[in-house]
Amino acid sequence: MRQITVFQLSCIGISLFITFLLVFAIASLFLVPDLEDVWKNLWSDEMRFSLKLSMLTGIVSTLMVMVFALPIGYALSRFDFPFKGFVKTILDLPVAFPELVLGLCLLLLFGNTLVGEVFRRLSVDLVFTKQGIVAAQFFTALPYASRILKSTFDYINPRLEFVSRSLGYTQRETFFNVSLPLAKNGILAATVISFARCIGTFGTVLILAGGTYMKTEVLPMTLYLNISYGNMGMALTSGIVLTTVSFIAIFIFEKAEVGI
Amino acid sequence: MKRVWIMMMVVLIGTAPVWGADLMVFSGAGLMKPMEAMRKNFEQQHSVTIDVHYGSSGEIFGMVAAGQPCDVLIPGAEKYTQDALKNGWVEKETIRKLVLHLPAIAVPKGNPAKIKGLDDLAREGVRVSIGDPKAPAIGRVSKKLLTKAQLWDRVQPNIRVYAPTVNQLLIYVALNQVDATIIWKDLTSWAEAKGKIEVIDIDPGRNIIKTIPTAVCTRTQNRALALQFNDYVASAEGLSIWKEWGFEPCAK
Repeated sequence: MRQITVFQLSCIGISLFITFLLVFAIASLFLVPDLEDVWKNLWSDEMRFSLKLSMLTGIVSTLMVMVFALPIGYALSRFDFPFKGFVKTILDLPVAFPELVLGLCLLLLFGNTLVGEVFRRLSVDLVFTKQGIVAAQFFTALPYASRILKSTFDYINPRLEFVSRSLGYTQRETFFNVSLPLAKNGILAATVISFARCIGTFGTVLILAGGTYMKTEVLPMTLYLNISYGNMGMALTSGIVLTTVSFIAIFIFEKAEVGI
Repeated sequence: MKRVWIMMMVVLIGTAPVWGADLMVFSGAGLMKPMEAMRKNFEQQHSVTIDVHYGSSGEIFGMVAAGQPCDVLIPGAEKYTQDALKNGWVEKETIRKLVLHLPAIAVPKGNPAKIKGLDDLAREGVRVSIGDPKAPAIGRVSKKLLTKAQLWDRVQPNIRVYAPTVNQLLIYVALNQVDATIIWKDLTSWAEAKGKIEVIDIDPGRNIIKTIPTAVCTRTQNRALALQFNDYVASAEGLSIWKEWGFEPCAK
């Protein structure tokens, strides 16, 4: 018979306690506001604008993140190259970086430096614009995706790739026909997490894109602006929309059954 | 093992009262520097702890409206205190006018767009940022004074960004991301901004000058201490701190 120790009980107890608190916190977001009010807010011009902008920028950013994260994840997992440790640390840095600091760094970079000038020459202005939102989301979400993809590739047995190579396929053909299909779940998980991260990015967007009402207003910005306007109903509605998006994302993520 | 858990619980419960401060003050974000100085002085003199929540005036007003615990309310413009009074959230006899809040134009060092006054904000190609007219007090005032000067319609196309907080305006000017912004003059005297920006006064005839008030909230949990702090920020010592940070005291 299995004996339940005090230690076991404590661990389970703490898990349950925190889960309870979180469930209550999330539930109050749905229970406190007047549902009719929420429904009305959901169809307001501001919310429709912000939801549309969030979806659009989120999808564009996620696609860009994946295009960059796949080769990064593969390189970090499979190849050895000089300064690999340094590269890994720097790529992971934004995970631990406060979003506001990241936003400030990007504002400095795209503002008055040579890099910003190059982008402006290509008629991509990233300060106070919708493109800026995408840039902010891209840099915030990229490390999450590249981390997930690296560990996905780590778990794929390199022998399968060797077999493919020995049958005469090139490295590139092997990557697209063997490694990628095997990494299917990891790719799905990375996509979902990146999208959720993009949608939720606040600080970076606030500083780089400015957070202007009905111009660079994405969902977290709607929440923040309406707190500043003293419009709790609208703030709660954007909170509910954001929570719903993350719920769906986490659900898909769990379904994909991939550990990070 | 069990003993460790019990001890942890005891420690947690025992320290709980330390987490809550004796006084909760809601203050406009633009008043942070003098408020922090006064908070430290008051805490030392009375050996109490004070929590100050800084936010845009609209935000802290909304928080009081939502019933958040607040003892002293010091927003960036008197309108908010008057509105709070109408709703019965602050005590009328505790309202004190503290200092003047004077809007001014801030430009990056060297004044790249050669701004000389309000009219230049309407010139084509000038990159302007102002506070969101719905959020910080400066946003409302900027829109109002531009409307009063009959410039709003012409300035609007130049506005690159409406910032939800005052301090963002300062960053954007200091980093040369905009050519001009309208901001509280006292903010520009902050040490951080020194050497990065230049200030251009707005013609007094076209300016809108605000006063910053303080008031004790009706829902205060610690009325005696709240009154003391309320008096302190309006005292001679308090006013000298306001002056140190570039605010002008209200002429009595």
